[in-house]
Amino acid sequence: MPSIDYGSAADVTERLEQRLVESLTDEASVSRRTVLGSLGIAGSAAVGLGSTQVSASSDHEDEEEHGNFGAVGEYQDLDFDPHEFLTAFNTGDSGQDNVPQQVYEENGRTVREFEFTAVDTTITIAPGVEFQAWAFNGQVPGPTIRAVEGDLIRVKFTNLGRHAHTIHPHLKNLNPRMDGIPQNGPGVLDTGESFTYEWIAQPAGTHFYHCHSLPLKEHIHRGLYGTIIVDPDPERVRDNPREYVNYPGPITDDFREQLVGEAKSRNHEYAENHAVNEMVMVMNSFDTNFDGGNEVYAANTRAFGYGVGSTDGNGNWTAGETKRPIQIDKNERQRVYLSNATEFDLINSFHTHSQFFDYYDHGTTLTPTNKTVDTIMQCQAQRGIIEIDYSDHEPGLYMFHAHQSEFAELGWMSFFEVV
Amino acid sequence: MTDKTRDSTTDGSVPAENEITQPLGLPKWVSALLPIVLLGLVLGVFAFTSPLAGVQSGEPLPDVTVTHTTLPSDETVVLHVTNNGPESVTISQVLVDEAYWDFRVEGAGGDRTLAPMESAQVVIPYHWNPGWDLEVALVLSEGATFHNTIVAPSQSPGFSLGLLGTLAVIGLFVGVIPVALGMLWFPYIKTMSDRWLHAVLLFAAGVLGFLAFDAGFEAFELAERVPGAYEGNLLVVFGIFGALLLVQAISAWREGRVAAGDNRASSGLWIAYLVAVGIGLHNLAEGLAIGSSFALGRVSLGAFLVIGFMLHNVTEGPAVVAPVARGKRPSLKHFTALGIIAGAPVILGGWIGSLAYSPTIGAFFLAIGVGAILQVNWEIAGMVRDAGGRVASATNLLAFLLGLAVMYVTDLFVVL
Repeated sequence: MPSIDYGSAADVTERLEQRLVESLTDEASVSRRTVLGSLGIAGSAAVGLGSTQVSASSDHEDEEEHGNFGAVGEYQDLDFDPHEFLTAFNTGDSGQDNVPQQVYEENGRTVREFEFTAVDTTITIAPGVEFQAWAFNGQVPGPTIRAVEGDLIRVKFTNLGRHAHTIHPHLKNLNPRMDGIPQNGPGVLDTGESFTYEWIAQPAGTHFYHCHSLPLKEHIHRGLYGTIIVDPDPERVRDNPREYVNYPGPITDDFREQLVGEAKSRNHEYAENHAVNEMVMVMNSFDTNFDGGNEVYAANTRAFGYGVGSTDGNGNWTAGETKRPIQIDKNERQRVYLSNATEFDLINSFHTHSQFFDYYDHGTTLTPTNKTVDTIMQCQAQRGIIEIDYSDHEPGLYMFHAHQSEFAELGWMSFFEVV
Repeated sequence: MTDKTRDSTTDGSVPAENEITQPLGLPKWVSALLPIVLLGLVLGVFAFTSPLAGVQSGEPLPDVTVTHTTLPSDETVVLHVTNNGPESVTISQVLVDEAYWDFRVEGAGGDRTLAPMESAQVVIPYHWNPGWDLEVALVLSEGATFHNTIVAPSQSPGFSLGLLGTLAVIGLFVGVIPVALGMLWFPYIKTMSDRWLHAVLLFAAGVLGFLAFDAGFEAFELAERVPGAYEGNLLVVFGIFGALLLVQAISAWREGRVAAGDNRASSGLWIAYLVAVGIGLHNLAEGLAIGSSFALGRVSLGAFLVIGFMLHNVTEGPAVVAPVARGKRPSLKHFTALGIIAGAPVILGGWIGSLAYSPTIGAFFLAIGVGAILQVNWEIAGMVRDAGGRVASATNLLAFLLGLAVMYVTDLFVVL
């Protein structure tokens, strides 16, 4: 969807006029405020400000009396689209344009090669609020790497930032040179230096990578982090089922097949995986005023990026332009690869409204570590897989957010729109 | 009260008698030295026997001040610290943004221990980022911490001829040129009647009065950053009274000369020079502020700010020349000298501020400026009175008020 800017102002005005006409014909008792509100947004769009304060209801005025929480205005910087990021997996044979990548065989092993650069850039974290970031390939969170268990992940890393950086993977890594810390291997890479990291994709699960330069707080919270997803290999699961369950009892053939089936649904190379809607979410936060506390929280960088544009709390809601819910098909299984990159706070959390989910901590097991919960918490670098099923829910908006109210009200507040 | 006054009057007559007859027939110098010798003796006994050793309760608290910080390169942070406490302190660790960080202490005799009143530099190799605040904390050996935030850091300029040149040009624009332009009102001031001339003088006094408050507040503000051991506030008070009384003493000496028939001393030129010195001291402090902004890397001398300074300082020109409006016109070289004395210190202040910045120096110079200005106002009042005018006439009071108002308004343009 286009953002509201000079170019689209006429467009927006036209649509609002249309909406106004419709509401006038549909409802005899249209409130004067609705009319003025709509004209207001057209006016502000014309001067490039943007606004989403459109009241879709004429009989419920609480929202306007109490004010409505949420960030004012739309995102003008469209370089990063949090909706695209949700499903942007870089596997070597397909992925994002800003991540040069290839996949090939080497000594009987699949190699997934990626080119990473660290750059100094400016990102938008709330409408009109910019943040000076250090970013892998110019984006925060960094690109999501996806491999299959046992593959070799080869990252050709070049540091183009003015500070020294590394990439440290949260993988089972047998070679200390590849750990990406200042004290091992090449150490920190100064401006212009390059190094090729090689990591075996293990264990299966959802993992975290980040810069390990010092000061660590600065290097992480400036944006140098991302997700590595290691898909389980169904054949390996069939041979070693015990490695994928936290369960001491006998492994029956049925159970084994169930685990293999689950592994196939997790593995992007299997057809079973296509039946699942997979999303990557990195819970992150930003300290804009250097006080060691965060001013903005989000899932995937943008405050209220998955928020509803406007609602009166009575089910009458209007999706925004750049702030809008994640639309999901109720008949699809939903899977969230969730990790926590939040700096300065001890924990972050994920809570779903009107729904319970299964949680696989670190994603390293094929049976849930927490079954039927609606809230989980993660410390920094902790991650896990959330599986949600909305098939028996009525269509509509279902909220999900951090259940630290403070974080939610500072931006980490989102919606699924179930259709 | 009355009784006491009476007593002291009675007592007052006793030493008068003693002047004539020294007790025991001792020479006068012995009775002058005796109390000092006895004080020395008592101090000696006290120091060796320490009779009050048991009275001490608890340890005195450590007190360390970070007077200012410099950032000589993008890999280095330097904290200038002073130990204010009565005991030695040891800087055992340094935290940068709540992380222990490498550091070394320079200028404390090779170790990390600072004796009372001792100053040193804590040098931290840290790759800071321009504009991103740094919170630095010193952790002393007993665990006490002293915090300092470097707001929006940017590199300190260090010493270079280029910087001195830049500051000279800035000083020329904000100090010398506006004062010189203001002095060009001289021919017009000369044609004024006594009544209006006095009004102009009171206007100048208003200008100076504003500057005195301006500099005074700033001096006390800066004094808060002076290490506690140097008693910043009292240093400012001393600076103000020191300058006031010193200049007043010179002035009183001049009046003595006038009474003795020295014509040169009676001219308005003398007061003009005093005004120029007072304004010069104020402008020196202004220069210090500009220079230290450079030193601390906090400069946004946009055109607007320079214009603000120029408007502000142009009013100082007539203040300098108004005292010489009567009588023989002084030679051009006097005008040049007056202009330079009043305006050029901005340049000097800029150099001092950028090269040897410290809150102590800054506060002291500001205080001296205040004292000098107050004395000048005293002088101006005297000048009006001597010329047969009434200082507190309606016109004069309004002119004084106008002086304050003009400075207030033009000051709004100057935000450093």
